Amino acid sequence: MRRLPVYILIDTSGSMRGEPIESVKVGLETMINSLKQEPYALETVSLSIITFDSEVKQVLPLTPIDELQLPDIYTPESGPTHTGAALELLCRKVDQEVTLTSEGRKGDWMPLLFIMTDGKPSDIQLYNRMIPEVQRRKFAGIIACAAGMTARTEPLKLLTDKVYSLDTLDSTSFKSFFKWISSTIALGNRSVGATDELELPPPPPEVNVLL
Amino acid sequence: MAKTIKLTATDGSTVEFVDEVIGSGAMKDVYFSPDKSYVVGFFRTKQDANSKDRLQNIVGKYRERIFNQVGGDYWENLFCWPTKLVEWEGKLGVVCPTYQKHFFFSDGMFKGKEKEGKWFASAKLRNKFLTPQQKGTWLSHYHMCLQIARAVRRMHAAGLAHSDLSYKNVLVDPETGRASVIDIDGLVVPGKYPPDVVGTPDFIAPEVMQTRALKVGDPAKKLPSIQTDRHALAVLIYMYLLNRHPLRGGKVNDLDTAKDEELSMGAKALFVEHPTDASNRPKVDNMAPSELPQGDVTKRPYTMCGPYLTELFNRAFIDGLHDPQKRPTADEWETALVLTTDLMQPCQNPDCEAKWFVFDNTTKPRCPFCGTEFHGQLPVLNLYYSPSKGRFIPEKNRLMVYDKQSLYMWHVNRFITPNERTKPEDRKPVGDFHFHKGNWILINRSLPDMWDVTEAQKRRIKPGEFVALTDGRKILLSGEDGGRLIVVQLVKN
Repeated sequence: MRRLPVYILIDTSGSMRGEPIESVKVGLETMINSLKQEPYALETVSLSIITFDSEVKQVLPLTPIDELQLPDIYTPESGPTHTGAALELLCRKVDQEVTLTSEGRKGDWMPLLFIMTDGKPSDIQLYNRMIPEVQRRKFAGIIACAAGMTARTEPLKLLTDKVYSLDTLDSTSFKSFFKWISSTIALGNRSVGATDELELPPPPPEVNVLL
Repeated sequence: MAKTIKLTATDGSTVEFVDEVIGSGAMKDVYFSPDKSYVVGFFRTKQDANSKDRLQNIVGKYRERIFNQVGGDYWENLFCWPTKLVEWEGKLGVVCPTYQKHFFFSDGMFKGKEKEGKWFASAKLRNKFLTPQQKGTWLSHYHMCLQIARAVRRMHAAGLAHSDLSYKNVLVDPETGRASVIDIDGLVVPGKYPPDVVGTPDFIAPEVMQTRALKVGDPAKKLPSIQTDRHALAVLIYMYLLNRHPLRGGKVNDLDTAKDEELSMGAKALFVEHPTDASNRPKVDNMAPSELPQGDVTKRPYTMCGPYLTELFNRAFIDGLHDPQKRPTADEWETALVLTTDLMQPCQNPDCEAKWFVFDNTTKPRCPFCGTEFHGQLPVLNLYYSPSKGRFIPEKNRLMVYDKQSLYMWHVNRFITPNERTKPEDRKPVGDFHFHKGNWILINRSLPDMWDVTEAQKRRIKPGEFVALTDGRKILLSGEDGGRLIVVQLVKN
């Protein structure tokens, strides 16, 4: 059975400390619980979480949805946002964890990537260098979320054309954002339109679509 | 508390709903009525005049074609058919009855969730997450499949194609053996309304997959139709009975996953159990423990579904896979499923997960699920019919006997078939079978004209009397036109 690998990259830099990160955790929890109720997700989805601040960590290795426990997520007092290093770790983990199709074996589905940040990459050079690397990994979809008024969307737009912004960092907006992510993940066995286009469900009202 | 919105439907009646989305599908957002007896689903995108016309016909003309006939009530259980059309804030919505209670999990981890078919068609989900009770028996899965085939047969007979049959669009309840076709608003009328979806992955017919990249309007582009419904129906039945996909095997058609998927489900689709081309056999070594034993086609071959379904699977996945004309019709599936339920035997192992299996026409029957051999006497009733007075020729069907089984009119008379048109008086059992004091017997309950014709001197068996089922016994169930003769074959182990 092919797995659908889902990578979630979360900004844990100092500015996320307090209510924002707590809201993210609640959002993730809700998302995982709702995926555990979805037959398609239970059968196919595996999830990994990578956090990034001055340090980059894979806090959850790629794990089937029914077996995973949400790990603790910490934020430092302050410090830079190493988004580039996060992408670097992501590429390494995708190479290790995602099974590619080979002559004798069917591989996994193309992975999905969600990235959420409230600032801008501090390691912009590395970030720019990693963008083609990420694109080479052939993600089925990359969805970026700029959270809060200080989040910069320009760097994210280099990564994907699906960039969304949350105006506020409160629990309501995170909750609806994660709910939307889980319905996007569960899209796998929905009806396919007569015209060919990966259609995302409409984002919740709290999310602004950047065109 | 969300407010209640009141609208007037296109048929002039009042429709109310609570302004709070209870769920979102691929196309619609769904709201409850205040008493929760129906739901209203609004299309998120604007529907053109063509779609509106089509929806109007679905809630009107087409609905009446099926529901306003003799036996129309029968379909209330098998379809969740839209009843009304409404408009709100420029959006079009359809009103549907709320799903019946047995189509929701009543307990366990998924309490309150809809019983969409996927739960019961996937080996992993069954093996890891469902309770034995939720899983039902193998016999109840035949009953579910029978109802799905019947519902599809009825739509097709009315000239309608569902166009998106999938386990998402069929609710099932293995506990009671019931099924209901939902999401009927995508329905296609060949030649009149083009479909707006190509289907759901796993169920899209190969010819549709193969021409998916072509633009709408290109004459070579194949869109959902009655013939593609037939493919989806065959896949559904295969998946419910065997818990694996008939085309998802080990063969790699391209190193790029997306291309491989498109080829494996399209141009290069190949039945995993093709008798002569083994190149797409599933690879057990690559499977997770939770996918077994169902994933292993050598342990659970499709032939265990009995001779009638084997033949139809051959036509659906070998002859007709790339030749839509050759696919079995829903009507043929319905007939084959009815005949197969007559071949079913309870497994003698009380711990067997399947509880039932299809008699394999051998003298040493054994349950293919748990391997338990049948011990004791097993009566097999061979059915004969009379093309002219006094002459009897065998029919291809048999009836397997088990304790406390019932005999019905469709066993007695070949002109009676069990379906929505069966008269109420013909739905009642007319006799029953028992294992009584070491012997198998058939008790006649209401057949006025039943005879033991084994000896030259024939003997009448009146209602209330019984006849022993010994090897070679010949019983005429009815002397009327279409009345059947039973010849008993006794298997002893």
